[in-house]
Amino acid sequence: MSNVDDNQLHDRLERLSKIDPTKAASDRAAKRVRDTLMNDEAIPSPGRRLLLIPKLAAAAVLLIGVAFLAGRLSAPESVDVEVLQANLENSLKSSLETTIRQELLDEMENRLQSALAAERNTLKQELRQQVAHDLDVFAEKTLTAVGNMTDQRFMEFARMVEAARIKDRQRVAAAFEYMGSRFGDGLVTLAAQTNKRQGTNHNIGVETN
Amino acid sequence: MKNRHKELLGLLDTSGAELFALLTRLTLREDIAEELMQDLFIKLSHSKGLDKATNRRAYARKAAINLAFDWRRSHRRAALRLQRVRRQASNDDSPLTQMMHSEELRETLDALAQLKKASREALVMRYIQQESYDHIAEQMGKTSHQVRAMCSRAVQHLRRIVGSNHRHHNI
Repeated sequence: MSNVDDNQLHDRLERLSKIDPTKAASDRAAKRVRDTLMNDEAIPSPGRRLLLIPKLAAAAVLLIGVAFLAGRLSAPESVDVEVLQANLENSLKSSLETTIRQELLDEMENRLQSALAAERNTLKQELRQQVAHDLDVFAEKTLTAVGNMTDQRFMEFARMVEAARIKDRQRVAAAFEYMGSRFGDGLVTLAAQTNKRQGTNHNIGVETN
Repeated sequence: MKNRHKELLGLLDTSGAELFALLTRLTLREDIAEELMQDLFIKLSHSKGLDKATNRRAYARKAAINLAFDWRRSHRRAALRLQRVRRQASNDDSPLTQMMHSEELRETLDALAQLKKASREALVMRYIQQESYDHIAEQMGKTSHQVRAMCSRAVQHLRRIVGSNHRHHNI
């Protein structure tokens, strides 16, 4: 039925019974338990903690009661109702005035917005046509002005070119005149020299003869 | 509360070494036995059962056995690390033999953990703590005959558990 007989089982149990811990381990365990128990004294157990809860609750209730009584006793005497009403009125007035004003402004703005919304498309169309017309007029005027300006500039340019051409012709004429006068003088001088030389040669021939 | 601590310190002085040895035998580890020893006394310091117990030493031992087997159940695969297992009669002291012996002890303790609490307590007291039937009967509030019968039945049951474990391993 089983691979382990009673003797083997008893042998095993006996071996277990002969296991002994070391003295050091035993002392260490005892010291550890002793320390734990000593420290545990300082720590309240769960049961003690449970007992503390009603005490703490009672203390809290007492504290709240004392605080309430102190508050009631130290409270100022009854106030003047009329003054309080006036103060309240002023306070409400100052706080409500700005709010009401703002709400009125908002309401007006909304109404204006809704009234303008209907005319919006028509206004947009008219505005577009007006702007297109204005732009056409402006373009036409600009083109005319630019054309006139260009013509004027061209005419000035032509005039300046003509003046420059006349001046150049005058200079060329003066140069030719000068050159002509100088050429004439040269010819006269050359003729005189030629005559002079011819006269000299004739005299020499006569003397030789 | 101070009185409880005084009582526990007294119990520690009188039975501390015995309880620690029992925890070491049941866990096969001194470090775990130390942990469980501390847990045991913390448990006892908050236990209402200790006040009602007529024999506080027996109550503490029972709590120690339960703690040890609870630990065994949650750490079944824990390795055997105890250094001071006494040598066996066999001349063969090879590491393999030592390992097999350790494995056998572990197996026996795991089988013990599967017994009912009363049977397990009786077996532990009789065979691991080597106490007499009369003493066990006195501690458990039973007659000597009842304890003897209980131990006998528990051994048979233990043998069946170990045997079935062997068959599972062989399969």
